[in-house]
Amino acid sequence: MKDLATVVKLVVLERKDIFLSVFFGYLAGIAAVGLFASSGYLISRAALIPPLYALTVLIAILKLFGFTRAISRYAERYFSHRATFSILSHLRVSFYKKLEPLAPQIFQKYRSGDLLSRIVGDVESLQNFFLRVYYPPIVLVVVFLSTIVFTTFYSAALAVVLLAGLLLTGFVVPVLFAVRQKRINTQVREQRGILSTEAAELLYGYRDLKIYQKVREKEDQLLLASNDYVYEQEKEGLHSTLSHSMNTMVSLIVSWFVLGVGAWLVAEGDLNGIFLAMLVMISLTVFENATPMAVFPVHLEDSRHASKRLFSVVREDIGKEPDSPVKLPIDQAPSVLFSGVNFTFPGESKAAISDVSLHVAQGKKTAIVGASGSGKSTLLQLLLKIHPYVNGEIALGGVNLEDVEQEDLWARSNVVLQENHFFYGSIRDNLAIAAEGEADEVLVDALHKVKLSHFSLEDEVLERGENLSGGEKQRLALARAMLKGERLWLLDEPTSSVDALTEQALYEELFDQAEEDTLILVSHRLAGLERMDQIIVMDHGEVVEAGTYGELMRHQGYFYEMKQIEKSVFL
Amino acid sequence: MKHLKQFAFSQRSIMVVLVCTSLLMGAAIIGQAYYFVAVIEGVFLKKLSFDAVIPLLVGLFAVLVLRAALTYISGRSGVKLASRAKISFRTALLNKFAKNPVQASMQGQSGRKISILMDASDDVDSYFSSYIPQMIQTAIVPLLILAAVFYHHIYSGLIMLITAPFIPFFMALIGVMTKKKSEEQLEKLAAFSGRFLDTLQGLTTLKLFGRARKQRELIEESSLGFRDATMEVLKVAFVSSLMLEFISMLSIGLIAMEIAIRLVVYESISFFSAFFILILAPEFYQFLKDAGSAFHAGRGSVVAAQKVTDELEKDPHQVEWGNRPLTITSSPPEIELDESVFRYKQEGFALGPISTSIAPYSQTAIVGRTGSGKSTLLHLIAGLTAPQEGEVKVAGQSLFKYEEEEWFNQLSYISQHPYLFSGTIAENISIGANGAAREEIIRAAEKAGIAGFIQTLKNGYDTPIGEAGRGLSGGEKQRIALARAFLKRPSIILFDEPTTGLDLQTERILQQSLQELSRSSTVITVAHRLHTIQAADQILLLEEGQLIGKGTHEELIHSVPYYQDMVSVQQGGEKQ
Repeated sequence: MKDLATVVKLVVLERKDIFLSVFFGYLAGIAAVGLFASSGYLISRAALIPPLYALTVLIAILKLFGFTRAISRYAERYFSHRATFSILSHLRVSFYKKLEPLAPQIFQKYRSGDLLSRIVGDVESLQNFFLRVYYPPIVLVVVFLSTIVFTTFYSAALAVVLLAGLLLTGFVVPVLFAVRQKRINTQVREQRGILSTEAAELLYGYRDLKIYQKVREKEDQLLLASNDYVYEQEKEGLHSTLSHSMNTMVSLIVSWFVLGVGAWLVAEGDLNGIFLAMLVMISLTVFENATPMAVFPVHLEDSRHASKRLFSVVREDIGKEPDSPVKLPIDQAPSVLFSGVNFTFPGESKAAISDVSLHVAQGKKTAIVGASGSGKSTLLQLLLKIHPYVNGEIALGGVNLEDVEQEDLWARSNVVLQENHFFYGSIRDNLAIAAEGEADEVLVDALHKVKLSHFSLEDEVLERGENLSGGEKQRLALARAMLKGERLWLLDEPTSSVDALTEQALYEELFDQAEEDTLILVSHRLAGLERMDQIIVMDHGEVVEAGTYGELMRHQGYFYEMKQIEKSVFL
Repeated sequence: MKHLKQFAFSQRSIMVVLVCTSLLMGAAIIGQAYYFVAVIEGVFLKKLSFDAVIPLLVGLFAVLVLRAALTYISGRSGVKLASRAKISFRTALLNKFAKNPVQASMQGQSGRKISILMDASDDVDSYFSSYIPQMIQTAIVPLLILAAVFYHHIYSGLIMLITAPFIPFFMALIGVMTKKKSEEQLEKLAAFSGRFLDTLQGLTTLKLFGRARKQRELIEESSLGFRDATMEVLKVAFVSSLMLEFISMLSIGLIAMEIAIRLVVYESISFFSAFFILILAPEFYQFLKDAGSAFHAGRGSVVAAQKVTDELEKDPHQVEWGNRPLTITSSPPEIELDESVFRYKQEGFALGPISTSIAPYSQTAIVGRTGSGKSTLLHLIAGLTAPQEGEVKVAGQSLFKYEEEEWFNQLSYISQHPYLFSGTIAENISIGANGAAREEIIRAAEKAGIAGFIQTLKNGYDTPIGEAGRGLSGGEKQRIALARAFLKRPSIILFDEPTTGLDLQTERILQQSLQELSRSSTVITVAHRLHTIQAADQILLLEEGQLIGKGTHEELIHSVPYYQDMVSVQQGGEKQ
């Protein structure tokens, strides 16, 4: 509920549109009541054969109510939807503001991109919050109260009946159903999760399932999971149908009471019979405003769940920034020092990095190599302060990393990660994030350096760089790092998808530009490392060897053996 | 659309219920109007006592309860119908996916298939749960109301009859006018939320380049821009419902005026009939308008159903197995490829025709560049895909004459990325050998060099792995796959040799294990290591799907220039 309160705060930012939505919603509701009330009155008057002009006036009023209702309904829809989209925009911005300080640590925790797409879905689903949860009850109450006040002029008893009806359809029935809704929703989600996991197993593990003859078994399991899921959905559907029907029944029965009590009053002479038709028509119409309350529990539960999930993500605890940060010097290649560094991923028992000590002197080039899973990328991420809670000391240019702000650290380094993001837009847009305001020639030159001369700056880039090959993405990321022009290079397998020949050319460019800079390169390939000042070999989170290429080859240890295997790899 | 309708009409009992409830619903609505009017007329004009109208009130109560009950029954039938439809669609999809040849599942579209199975199947719901029940009601209820009105007053009936068609007509007209624009907008909406996702996913990159703050403004700006664009389209939709509202309102007004004038001026209609018609008229137009919104809901389902149908009709080529037993006496069976051809439907890539034979206990290396058809050839031999032309023969008989189980029992397939199922480590190792004892599993794990690792885990062999469990590294997965093979002791091993990225320990274990396993089986390897290739009894050299060389390393290096080039480039490349 606390999370929903956060959403409400964002909703009330759109005061004007909320007011207009409620106002026109009220006008539409009350005009409908007026329309049917006057038609009931009209027919009763007509039965008593009044002067024709009275009828003409009534018919004119009838038309007026009709037009007011139609136009107000239009205005209500317009303003409520405009408010909804504005609110969505606030939600996006507010969520982004909260998520931004947590990146990239938070992505380490939720490794699958699935989480993010779910978040976006949650934001979208909150559009129903204003439209179906927030303002319809307000309109309902105001319309009802006005109607009830109007009714008291004719009969207090009937006003009481209407009030009871409001309480029943507006609150009692929805609340009763909301409680059950919550439980059913949870079950639907659980079953959906099971089904989607099983489906992923079938499709991704298909070849192995086939060979181990488990396809039939898996298919049966899936059918079962699908039936369970549909069964839960059906329960949900039946529940909401029941809720809707109950609401209809209650409102019809209230109208029945209005008629019954009204008829009794007329028979007793306490109410003029000419108003009976009008009052019955009012009752039948006013409950149309209660119909949205039937779907209220469903949307309330959805909104509650979406907001909870949305804000639980950004409530994560991530390492805190230094109290009195030390600024890194500008335009100065730093040295890098690890001493006795240990690191374990949260929730895992085995250390990912154990007791690593290493030193990279100012302006020197170091390569970190090892098998996949040996911890070489983690080492680089520790240096980037991507993981909090490190044991041991990491220092940059003599400054303890704990005293450096993330933002400052990143501003002073040229980084290429394994996953580099490219945004929807042009090649220019994607380069410009590293070099704002630079002339086109500079950008074109950077493209040229990474052997991407066949691209023009105007070429389109799709979301996540979907239209680029793995190698092109890596080269573009390298161009971005080159454009940034800082003095510390941190590169995580920047050329793993590039062919050997181009890789060599890229290394040439890189060494040219970074001649005076400190550079750390994580690589799974061993070719082209002859020029490095130092090679660090990792295995199972530990440094097993370190030295220059020549030294390691002479030593004939781990590196030498890896090199032999790489040599024998054919294609 | 056709499929959806067909399915709906095939569910006879539900359709009968829906038609009956609609008929009763019409009757209930007419009855409701009748009783309301009768009670009011009774106390207002006829000056009856309250007691006299009690029977009418009781009747009314019954009719109202009936109407609510019918709403529920109709809704319930819709939900049931939707459930049956979803199960039927999903079952068909699952059947299809389970029978697909492996090639189809390897084309990297698993994500899309999951989305069809989950979301598209769910999206057909609204067609059955709201469109069909609503359409049946709209077809029946207004007709009954019209009949009742005609019975009481022919002129009001005529007004209804004339004005009614305007509603569907305008609905269709507006639909045609706005369809394209609103579809465009829907696409934009999807693209827009995709872009927000894009920004979130790129947050690390943005922060590394110090651009995260600026992006916030962009999000707000584009969100609001998008809002304004959407409102333009929504305005059209709202205007269209405004028009419908006007039409129905004008029609009701026309009826009201007509009966009022007849009532007052001509006195040619009774109060009862007039009021009765006045209550029924809005119901009449409401049912017509409701059809519009139901139609809208149904349209999304049609798109989803089309996706499902497309998927079901895709690539009907399936592998059919026979029922012949495959008896293995002492040695593995001989495998023969006889002019085998495999073609992908779309890309135009074809493998073959390939003819070769693979002797028992021999080692075959499949060699070629990326995309030359190595994996496809391995799948063909494994019986995971069937050749379109020619045959794969095992022990002199076409492979597909054998019983599927008989063949796969002889086979182990060790891929570069073995798949781990959700389950414990023990279950994962024993997947090919049901009912294996724990000691056997441990022995297999020891041989695969993974026993030590398993012992370090808190729950040992009962540690859950796979989708919902612990993640294993590439090397650990390879060793689990090896343990599977050691437990199964197959007579034929298909091996997709890893390229790089394995730790030295796994590298060594792989080599030793393969050597040991090859003593009792035929080994066919997609080879990446020079020593594997050199040790092979037979090399199959592929280039663009064609078998361009066959023989030992020595033979090929002397007779096939392409092979010679490959070897010298590989060795030369390293010397640089």
